Order: sequence, then structure tokens, then C-alpha cells
Amino acid sequence: MATYSDCLKGEGTFMFNVVSKKTPRLDAEAKVKGLEKFASDIALPGMLYAVVLRSPYPHAEILRIDTSEAEAMGAVCLTPDDVPDVLYNERGVSIPAKTYRDRRVLPRKARHYGEAIAAVAAESEELAWKALKALKVEYKVLPPVLDPIKAIEPESAQLYERVFFGEEEIAIKNNIACEREITVGDADKAIASSDFVVEEEYELPRVYHFQLETKSAVCNPEPDGSLTIWCTTQSIHNVRILIGSIFGIPLSKVNVKKIPVGGSFGSSIQMNSIIPICAALALKAHRPVKLVSSREEDMYDHCKYPSRIRLRVGVNKDMSIQGVEAEVLVDIGAHQIQAYPLLGSMAGWLVSLYKWKNIKYRSRAIYTNKVPACAMQGYGNPQMNFAVESHVDLICEKCGFDPIEFRLKNHVGIGDEFWGQGPTVRSIIKSCGLEESLKTGSELINWKERGHPINKTGRYRRGIGLARGFHTSSAGAPGPAEVIDYSGATVKVNEDGSVDVLTAVMDLGGGTWDAIAKIVAEVLGLPLEKVSLSPVDTRTTVYDVCTHASRGVFAGGGAAYKAAQEVKRKILEVSSVFLQEHPENLELVFDPKRNDAVIRPKGVPFKSMTLGEVARNAMVTGLGSIAATVSFRQKTCPPSFVTNFVEVEVDTFTGIVKLLRAVCIADCGTPINPDGVKGQLIGSLARYGGYALCEETEYSEQGRLKCEGFITDNKIFTTEEMPFLNNIVVHFTNTYEPTGPLGAKGIGEAAGNSVASAIANAVYNAIGIRFTRLPITPEKVLEALRGKEA
Amino acid sequence: MRDKLINLKINGKKYQITVKSNTLLLNLLRELGYTDPKYGCGIGECGACSVLLDGQLTLSCLTLAISCDNKEVITAAGLSEKDQLHPLAQSLIEHAAIQCGFCTPGMIIAGKSLLDKNPNPTEEDVRQYLRGNLCRCTGYAPIVEAVLDQARKSKS
Amino acid sequence: MNTNTKILPLEFEYYEPENLDEALELLSRFKERARIIAGGTDLLVKMKRELLKPEVLISLSRISNLKYIDEGEGSLRIGAGTPLSEIENNPTVERSYSALFEAVRSMAAPAIRNMGTIGGNLANASPACDTAPPLLVYGSSLKIKSKGNERVVPLEEFFLGPGITVLSPEELIAEIQISQSEPPKGSAFLKLGRVSADIAKINVAVYLKREGKRCSCCRIAFGSVAPTPLRIYQAEKMAEGEIFEEQVIKKVALECQKQIKPIDDVRSSKDYRVWVSAILAEEALKAAWLRSEGSL
Ligand SMILES: Cc1cc2nc3c(=O)[nH]c(=O)nc-3n(C[C@H](O)[C@H](O)[C@H](O)COP(=O)(O)OP(=O)(O)OC[C@H]3O[C@@H](n4cnc5c(N)ncnc54)[C@H](O)[C@@H]3O)c2cc1C
Ligand code: FES
Ligand code: FES
Repeated sequence: MATYSDCLKGEGTFMFNVVSKKTPRLDAEAKVKGLEKFASDIALPGMLYAVVLRSPYPHAEILRIDTSEAEAMGAVCLTPDDVPDVLYNERGVSIPAKTYRDRRVLPRKARHYGEAIAAVAAESEELAWKALKALKVEYKVLPPVLDPIKAIEPESAQLYERVFFGEEEIAIKNNIACEREITVGDADKAIASSDFVVEEEYELPRVYHFQLETKSAVCNPEPDGSLTIWCTTQSIHNVRILIGSIFGIPLSKVNVKKIPVGGSFGSSIQMNSIIPICAALALKAHRPVKLVSSREEDMYDHCKYPSRIRLRVGVNKDMSIQGVEAEVLVDIGAHQIQAYPLLGSMAGWLVSLYKWKNIKYRSRAIYTNKVPACAMQGYGNPQMNFAVESHVDLICEKCGFDPIEFRLKNHVGIGDEFWGQGPTVRSIIKSCGLEESLKTGSELINWKERGHPINKTGRYRRGIGLARGFHTSSAGAPGPAEVIDYSGATVKVNEDGSVDVLTAVMDLGGGTWDAIAKIVAEVLGLPLEKVSLSPVDTRTTVYDVCTHASRGVFAGGGAAYKAAQEVKRKILEVSSVFLQEHPENLELVFDPKRNDAVIRPKGVPFKSMTLGEVARNAMVTGLGSIAATVSFRQKTCPPSFVTNFVEVEVDTFTGIVKLLRAVCIADCGTPINPDGVKGQLIGSLARYGGYALCEETEYSEQGRLKCEGFITDNKIFTTEEMPFLNNIVVHFTNTYEPTGPLGAKGIGEAAGNSVASAIANAVYNAIGIRFTRLPITPEKVLEALRGKEA
Repeated sequence: MRDKLINLKINGKKYQITVKSNTLLLNLLRELGYTDPKYGCGIGECGACSVLLDGQLTLSCLTLAISCDNKEVITAAGLSEKDQLHPLAQSLIEHAAIQCGFCTPGMIIAGKSLLDKNPNPTEEDVRQYLRGNLCRCTGYAPIVEAVLDQARKSKS
Repeated sequence: MNTNTKILPLEFEYYEPENLDEALELLSRFKERARIIAGGTDLLVKMKRELLKPEVLISLSRISNLKYIDEGEGSLRIGAGTPLSEIENNPTVERSYSALFEAVRSMAAPAIRNMGTIGGNLANASPACDTAPPLLVYGSSLKIKSKGNERVVPLEEFFLGPGITVLSPEELIAEIQISQSEPPKGSAFLKLGRVSADIAKINVAVYLKREGKRCSCCRIAFGSVAPTPLRIYQAEKMAEGEIFEEQVIKKVALECQKQIKPIDDVRSSKDYRVWVSAILAEEALKAAWLRSEGSL
């Protein structure tokens, strides 16, 4: 059997030189040597250290903050009175008209325990902390609203009276942040007249992103009146735009540096709450200021969207689905970061999984006095996937269908419409490796031998489960949509034929920068070592919306691909002067002998020039630099299909579920970085293994995290929870996405969406109990087993 | 004492510095420019701040700098020479065991500490030894593989 | 939120005595104002969380005669300042004190075991403390010293509540004394956490002495099921003198389940702890019995 070490790719070879080849990460050496500088590693001469005062109540008005004692200690203090009276939305990805704004840099009312309410900066962190403790705050404590079901009752306390939707001020009633309904056909009627009706409710927990780097920012007011920012972010341009608009600074005077990020998983799609605080302090102090979150602060800053999903599905005896009714309730916590597009996206994930024919989708996002929820690898997709893929197994069990046949019969595939980011982002699927995935995966895991839970006895019971999912690549669409999605790149040829690429696209660790370099190298026929990614910032790059929605390679790489093609055209044009040939008769190819890009008349290999020779000649003859800058929007949002097969072992005496074996099959089109794709799949196994089995940030009745922000009591998978190396299999299907750069699609989020669903299905196969609530902790397993026995 | 002049060797370089009693080794190292040990939790749970202290795997976030008088600290940056990567670092690169890289310096230190003690580890040994080093990106498999492979290579 | 784990905000005086007498002198000088710091893996976390605010720290790290493992005839004396990893790597511990070995092995991860000491683990007096159950079932005692004074306290009498012990502010643990009778005997330790490298949801240690097919002495101790680590005498009595077989083991295990009084907390639930206690007890009893070369 193929093991973890050999990544399989189905039949078919590639015609690529660089792309799809294993290459060491460009930043690997800096990272292993510990020389890479993350935001928290930036130190500027004369900088102040900032710390943040956080609310000790989940819900309280801030009446007064006395800073006199702290200021007497030499600290610079920031209170709600010191920040612009601007309500903003921190995400900046949706178009303004579809964006809810409910947030201030420092609020006048704390809406969750741990919300930032003031900040101080001082010469050292110790001094700043002392000064912070000297702040005196007068609160008017309000009753908190913690349960989303109770929150919508009229007598519950209200988090907000009014917020902005676009430019319009709207009233918030019963803590309902927003609602979305989508109807296709007549689901009620279709379900009522189908042979079987299957109904169930699923619940997904609040989990913390747990990116290893806590969020950090360094802001430096420059002598020319501009502000330079180094920060943890997935979008340098959106940080720039937000800081500019909140503080009224022209965008040419805000400069955000592109630096590596110590993991993110969605937690920095939005401008982190600490960035404007740090900026405000720097502006007030006229000094550089550094603000690094502690882990406990970070855990009080963001989490994944906890969701309840009720599904009612009608199916006929011939395995055809007649209709679905879905009710979704999302507890978004204290702020609306992106709940409105989330509800739309969750509808999209639902409608794009199976051919439901008739759909009735109702969703609501509820404010509660808890940590604000935001996107986390999958943006509602793992939640919806868990409900639907559990439900599909449930249907198959109840109706006696084969789970693989059912999926093959009903799945959305080539030629069907895919909703990549809610109802306004749709395109037609042109590549799909799902059928191959199901076939190959079931062989690799030995699906046929999985047995039935009724026949399993003894203390340790094994089960095999399957779930399939997908995620969009970008939020690209043929026309304008609710979501902004375009990217850009500059490619320039240096005078020795090496190439610089300038892109604002962020790499969150997945290897996006490598992919971009490889795409440019491939197009220009260069060996990878001749392509460099320039250290850039918002001043030197054109806009890229954000590294989210699995768009880094597809959209960011797509822009680089476009720019490289433009440069290639110019290279041929310039070369035509020196080679005395019409550009159309010239070709730019990789010459393995010279390990370089050469330009030559088609079919005349001996009459060639290297790219370096062309560039030098262009300089000497004054033809100028060969370079191009593009701004580019993808017009499609092709899904990458990932299928997970897992084997678990349930200890029926202790309730412990162990993940024994995993087969991860990815259809991501051309895997530009095969190692990167593999990395996403295995990393997702750990993250979503934790989602399935142990992670949850629970709240006390006082509205505080039970773990109090300490990871001691919020554990993620360690080395020992993972399957052994020989029991992890990764396989790539043989697909090519015609709309992607060199055939590529995204993978980041797709890699994780169906993992937890597969684990839950495997647990069912082991012990015959369907868990509709994650995580499946030993406590819950034992309780269920005992309930079943009784 | 509330502060003390200590002698400390960091990655081969000698320092004589006055430290306050409550200065953490992690923060001292970072202030001196050794930013490869990272703050990940501050309470001993994540391993991002791992260093070798007199050859012993140690968490610098829970170590008082004042207690390190006459000791030697090695961080990940101290393992690789300017032009020569530490073999384990090389192995991590080859096995694509690095993503965001925030856990990497701690991981390398822990991996080296393991191989110093046990040049012939089984997969189980590696899993058990590295279990205090959290990585949110990689799912650990390539890291475990890289350590095992390095052990194999240095044997032959 | 009142903490900042990036720094240690408290200011304190720091002493690093070279020998025990000096340390005891300092303790008697500063009394409540001082705390001992051994590995610091509990203390510094508590200080960062501002649960403890000592004005003086007295480090044991330079006192070499607190770091030893001395073997005698069926006995073991461990200096309180001995790092956990040294206990883990001691061949005698691995061979003859299985429960202690397994307990130390289960703790945290190698770095913490290099830093943390056995004395610190006990003095910290967490209900989830992993070395307490094995040390309890071995019938261990602690040599406790203060300036000009020394007393030996059975570990059973040491813990008074979470974080509370019989130690006075002037005292420290100098040594852990363990004695075991001659073979045939066996011990075992088991623990459940959420993931590996985790604090126990529940842990148990068993020590058995065998006489032919009978169990002549049985000791069982649980952690995380009460405010302090707990011996289960009623269950032990049911085992002693019995022919050790499946039914007896089950009965003893069920008695353990009846005796423990766990609570719901962030790590697990009361019910779960009660349910698995019998399973853990049964497994530990069996493992200890097999190690005493008894048959089942
Ligand atoms: C990440 C992490 C994981 C952990 N996992 C576990 C685990 O799995 N199981 C477990 O049981 N514990 C665990 N612990 C707790 C801790 O590591 C152990 O309790 C360790 O043995 C404490 O020893 P220390 O030397 O570090 O104690 P210190 O922190 O130095 O001291 C702890 C307390 O004991 C006092 N003290 C220390 N030595 C003496 C002495 N000789 N006489 C009197 N008082 C003394 C101190 O004043 C202090 O109050 C963990 C801790 C961390 C940070
Ligand atoms: S920062 Fe030291 S262990 Fe996490
Ligand atoms: S590589 Fe990102 S945490 Fe390990």
C-alpha cells in the first residue's frame, strides 16, 4: 500500500519543469535557522511596549477611565475618548454596501469578557503592565447574553441598538445580527411527497484557531507623517485601507509591510483588533509602538463560528434526493465580523454538495456576549459538511443505500453550478476528481471490509468512515458580486535575466509564495532559483484582497501567471530586435543544458539567446526594462474536491476514540507544490481531528472561558494523537483546472472540510452511535454507550 | 537580590549582563536579538520557546534568567552555521516539515535533544519526545519523519 | 483579564543558596514572604497567573545534595530537588517501581520533566499530581526540614487540600523515602488525559504484594477525584487475603468507584470520572498482579 511518504498522483505526466515538482521552500533556510522575522520579532529603536486592558465583564458600559496614575508613571494611555468615533468592520472583503459595521477601536461598552477597552504604552512591557494596573475604570455592569437561543427572546439584554449596514443605520432586534433565506423550488412539497424523510439537528462547537503566533503589531510614525505597520495579517492592503479610513490618513501615507505570519487559519482575514490600538498609541505617542498579544488575550479575540444546523431531507427509493430544508443558527459572539456573507456561504456549501432539486434554507446569526467568531479554515464549510455528510450516512443507513453509490449518484459535479462564496459567486464546474477519489479511496482504506456496527463486539471496536467535501478556489465570479476578489502582481526581469516578483499576496505558511515563484518560473522557462519574491509592502504592490477563500494560488498565482505572460510577450518583442525574427516566430523555453530560459526562433535551437543576454542587450541598447504589472480578477471559483476515509478505534470502556488510519484524497488540479498540498491535507487531519474529538472553548455562566485563555485546558492534537506514518496515505487525483494558473485550484480549506465528518461516520461504523455534536469526547461517548445499553 | 550580573554563553558567544530577578530567559534572549525562541503560550504548554540549557531541553518561558549564571544556552540559530545547516534542519527542509515556521526553532531544538539522547529512536520515541512541541500547521507527520530520517542517515 | 504570560510582572528578591542550611536559614528569615522555587514549572505559572505573589524566591537549583536517588535494600531515597527526568531514567525505578516510572513518564513532555522536580510536584499539591498516587501506594514518607528541625511525615498525612499541605512556611521537603517489601510484588499507574502530555482527568496507582495465589497487601490511590490524592482503604481491604482472580478484582474496582467523590470541572465530568475509575482500577490491579508474577 502507498504510505505517507509517497504521494500518489494518478495516471498522466506533467509537462512542467518547475511546477508540480518537489522543491525546498524558499523561506525554509531562514525558518530553520530561526532568522525569519515575524511581527513579534520586529524591534525598532526607541519603541514603546503596549499592553491592553481587557474587560473583566462580559457586558458592561464603560463610564469612566481614570488614567492619571498611569500617566504619572510615564505611560501613554489610550481610552475610548482618544480614538476616532468611527464604526468600522474589520474585514474589508465584502463590498461596502453589504458590510455590517458595529465596531470601534475601543468601545464605550464591552460586549465580551476580554474585550479591549483601553491600552497603555511605556518604555518596557513590565512598566506598561504596571501602568495598566493603575488604570481605574468605572463600569456599569449589564446582564450578559450567552445562549443564542435565549438571546432572541425579547426580554434578553441587547448587545446593540443600532449598527450600520453599508451607509444605512439599522436597528438590531432581539440580538439578531442578520438573516438570510434562500429558496429554490418548493422544498416543503417535494419532501412531503418523497418516499423517505430524514431529519436531524447537528451542533458544532466554538473552537479557537490556535495559530502558533499570537497576534502582534508594530507601528512606526515616520518623519514624513506616514505610518509604517508590521502586523499579523492575511491582507496587508485591507489593513492599510482600514487604518487609513479610521484615522483619516491618506492611503499613500499608510504602509503595511509584507512579512511572514506564524499561522493564521482565518484569524487574520480581518484586521486584528490590536492593530488599530497599536496604531492609535503610536500616533498619540509619536513613537514606534509594539503590541504583542499574550496567548490568553489571543484566545479572547477570536474563534470559529459555532453553528446549529437542522436538516430535513426527502429521498426516493431510487436514491434520488427530492428536497432539503435547512435551518442554520450561528452564535457569532460580540461583533459581526463577516456573519452576513457567512450565512450566504453556508447556503452555498449546502447547495453545492448534492443535487437537492428543491431547497429551503433559513439562517440567522445571533449576537451573544462571547468572543467574536470569524472564519476559520473553511468558513462555515466544515460545519455544513459535518451536518450534510453525517446526514447522508444517516439517510443511507435508514433507507438501505450504499453510501458511496448514493454520493456518486447525487453529487454536484462537472457541468453543474458551484457557489463559491454565497449566492452571488457562482460558476460552472469544469474539473472534478470526486469519482476517482471515492474509487481510489475506498480501495486504499479497504472500505468493503468495514463491517456493520451490529456485528462489532469487545472492548475496542474499529470503524471506517468516509466523507467528501470541497472548497472554493477564490471568490471569483463572472460578474460583480458581494465579495471583492482580485489580485495583482508585478514581474520584472533583471539585467542578468533573473526575475523579481512583487506581490501583496500573503503566505500563511501554506507555501503560497513558493507557488507564485514557481508559476512565474514555469511561464518564463526559468529555473526556480532565478525567481525571487521581493520584500514588499502596500506602497510597492498593487491590491490583493486577502489570502483567504483558498485563493492564494488560484487568484494570487493567477495574477502572477498573467503578469508573467505579459512579460513573456515583451521578452519576445525585445528579443525579436536582437534575433531579427518576428516575435510570433520566437519561443521562450527552458533549456535544461544551460539551466536557463532561452529565446529562439521556433525550430531553430542553435540560434538562441538566454534571457540574461536579452535583458543585458535591452539595457545597453536602451530598449529599457522588461516588466509588467497586472491587476487581475478570476472569473470562476472552481471547487477543489477532497475526500477523507478514516479508521478509528473506540475504547468502549473509556470512551476514547483514536484516529488510527487516514486516507486523504485531493483534487486540486495541478499541485503546484506537491509537498504543500500534502502539508495542507495532513495538517488538516490534525486540526480537524481535534475539532472532531477534543477541541471546544466552553464558557462559564459568568461569560468567561472555562479555560480562562490558558491552553492547559484547551488542548489541540500533539504528535501522539496522530496516526503513525505508515497509516497516513495521501493521493492526488488526475485533474486539470482549465481556468486555473497552469491547471491549479486551491487546497487550503478544502483539505479540512470533511475530516471531522469522516471521523464521526467512522465512530458510527464502530459502535453504532451517531454523534450529532462535536467534539466527540470520551465523556460523550461513554454517556451514549451507557444510554444505549440501558 | 533584585538583580544580578550574570555570565551567560549564548550560541557560543559570551555575555556579561545584569538581569532583573523577574526577567525570563525567553525575553532576555529575544532582547539580545536571539528571536528564534518564540513566545507561544508562556506557561510551558507549547514548546515554541525551547532552548538547550547546559545541553538540557528547557522551556525559556518558565526559566528565570537570573538562574542561568555560568550556564550555556543554545537556540536553533546556534545549531546551524552561516553556510552549513544543522543536519536535522536540513532534514526538516527535505521532508517539507516547515509551514509557517513559528514552531520550527523549538521543534529543531527538541529534535536535536532527542537525537543527542537517543540516536536510534523508534517512531514511538519521536512522538513521545516531541509531544510538548505544538504545531498547528503540519500535522506533525513530516516532522516525525524528518527526525527519523535524520537518525537513519547519521547511522549510515 | 488580569494576566500577561509574556512576562513575569511580579518583582521579588531572588536567592540561590549553595547548600541546604543556607536555604533553611533564608526560609526562617523570610517565612510567608518567601517561596521555594525548584523547577519553577508550577510556581512560575502560578505567579504569571497572579495566583501567588511571593516577595522572595529561594531557589533550590544550586543545592546539589537535594538531587540524588539512593537505593537501599527494598528502599529508595530521592532528593526532593531531583528532576523528574532523572527519576524516569533511573534503571531501578524503571525495573522495581513501575507505578512511579509510569507516572513520571506520563507527565507533560521532556522539557518539563527536565525542569520539574519530584519535590515540587508534591509540594504543589495539585489534586491531579501524578507522582502522589504511586508514592502513596508505596507508603512513602517525606523528610521535612526547617532550620534546626527535621520531621518525617507519611505522604498520606501530607496533603490537606488543593495547594495546601502540612508544610509550614519555614519548611521544605528534603527527601522522599520509599520502601517496598521483598518480591513478589508489583505496581502500576494509569492515567487519562484529553491528549497526551496532559494533566490527568483521573489517575490511579496500585501496589500489590503476592503470597502464592493470594494478595497479601493491596494499596490503591487515585488522583483528580477529590481535593487531595486519595487512598481507597475500603477497596484495599476487600482485596487483602483474597485469592486474586477476575471476580475479586472486579469487586475491588467497583468499591473504588463507590468511594471516590469527584466533581465536574473544565477537564472532565463527575460522571465520567466515576465510570472510568472502576475500569482504571481493574486494569491497574491486573497489571500490578501480573508484575508480581501472579497469574490470572
Ligand atoms: C506544561 C505543563 C505540564 C504539566 N504536566 C503535569 C503532569 O502531567 N502531571 C503533573 O503532576 N504535573 C504536571 N505539571 C506540573 C509541574 O510540572 C509538576 O508539578 C512539577 O513536578 C513541579 O515541580 P517544580 O520543581 O517545577 O516545582 P516548582 O514550580 O518549583 O514548585 C512548585 C511548588 O512547590 C514548592 N516547592 C518546590 N520544591 C519544594 C521543596 N523541596 N519543599 C517544599 N516546597 C517546595 C514551591 O514553592 C511551589 O509552591 C505540568 C506543568 C506544566 C507547566
Ligand atoms: S512559550 Fe514556552 S512553552 Fe509555550
Ligand atoms: S509550522 Fe506553523 S506551527 Fe508548526
